[in-house]
Amino acid sequence: MSEAAAPVSRATPAESPFKLGRILLLVGRLALACIFLVAAYAKLKPQIAVPWSLSSIETSLSMFAMQVDSYQLLPPSQVIRVAHFLPPFELFLGLWLLSGVALRFSSVVTTLVLTGFFTLMVRTYALHLSINCGCFGTSEQLGPKTMLRDGSLLALSLAVTAGAFWFHRQRRSAALSSPSSASMTSQQSN
Amino acid sequence: MPGRQTARSRRSRRLAGIACAAALLILAVSSTLHARGRAPATSEKPAKAVETIPAPVKTYGSKSAPITLEVFGDYECPSCGGFYEYTLRPMISDYVAAGKVFIVHRDFPLAMHKYGYEAARWANAAATIGKFSEAEAALYDNQNYWGQSGDIQKYMAAALSPADLHRVQKLMTGCEMAVAPASHSCPFDAYIEQDKALGNMVPVEATPTFRIFYKGQKFPAGQGVVSWTVLKQFFDQLLSQ
Repeated sequence: MSEAAAPVSRATPAESPFKLGRILLLVGRLALACIFLVAAYAKLKPQIAVPWSLSSIETSLSMFAMQVDSYQLLPPSQVIRVAHFLPPFELFLGLWLLSGVALRFSSVVTTLVLTGFFTLMVRTYALHLSINCGCFGTSEQLGPKTMLRDGSLLALSLAVTAGAFWFHRQRRSAALSSPSSASMTSQQSN
Repeated sequence: MPGRQTARSRRSRRLAGIACAAALLILAVSSTLHARGRAPATSEKPAKAVETIPAPVKTYGSKSAPITLEVFGDYECPSCGGFYEYTLRPMISDYVAAGKVFIVHRDFPLAMHKYGYEAARWANAAATIGKFSEAEAALYDNQNYWGQSGDIQKYMAAALSPADLHRVQKLMTGCEMAVAPASHSCPFDAYIEQDKALGNMVPVEATPTFRIFYKGQKFPAGQGVVSWTVLKQFFDQLLSQ
């Protein structure tokens, strides 16, 4: 009995990096989810000492619109639209990443969003515009520090995306080679 | 009996004398300490500025307006010029005129700008005689010209009446361009330095930086040029609450 159970409970040398990769993917996904949830919360929370309400959220989004406008990229009407869309979208993306559902797609969307943010920051810095980053809703000036932080997030997102695709391919090839082991792998991944 | 009474009255007189002396001593010590404690507060402003010239009023609108916008700016900074032209100017003619917004200007001349401090002196001098709006408009409208030549007086002369210009020139005695910033000889430097100290507390990292106050509550500071359309939408949101 004990001899039969051993191969299931202990990882073989070939499975160890696979497990480690899975753990790293989980950590990276959760880290990205937390960052997006915190960013959304910072933009939606009341900016002055008032209780949460629809009106307070509307005021916070209008406040965020000023930060979007300071990037001098969009006309005012578009600025207001983007400012009202972005924080709820960040909240949705954070929850999507947290759930782990269709990770390949959520990680690709996250990478695209972060690439957009990073490109915008580089453009603003190159134009010598002294503005607030608006990343986490605070009065934090855009500069090398914020760019380094966003660049690191982008790198993390790229790694999570690569990992999500790699694990998906591994599962597919395992499913093609042996249907029984594929079902086990898919059970483990779920 | 009379001897005992005399002794008692002598003792009570002595006690009263001691009590009076102690009270006087306490009074003297406390007044000295109080004067010492207040000394740093009064020494913050140069005596000349407080005694001879009234404080410059660098505001627009009514203080009782529900929204207050505090702007830290440098007259030579191009972004501040843009903020004035495309945001503050329409705001002044619209929401300030309607009593919805009160604007407070704070000087924050940056060291990188050669004539920014000098321009702030001129604006403060004009503000002292109630001509701040004219001075500010002249400075921002002609920023590109005096920013190169340094001839601020030329544009002040165009904006003010000869009598007002004469008054401003008189006030500017001791504020010649050669005089270094934060000088005691120029009475307006104390006010500029006061604004800068306030800005450092915000903290102002670049100009323009602005703070919005609504019914006594302060929003996080904003930075950079924000269009009037977007700012108006924010004000409308506040006013609708």
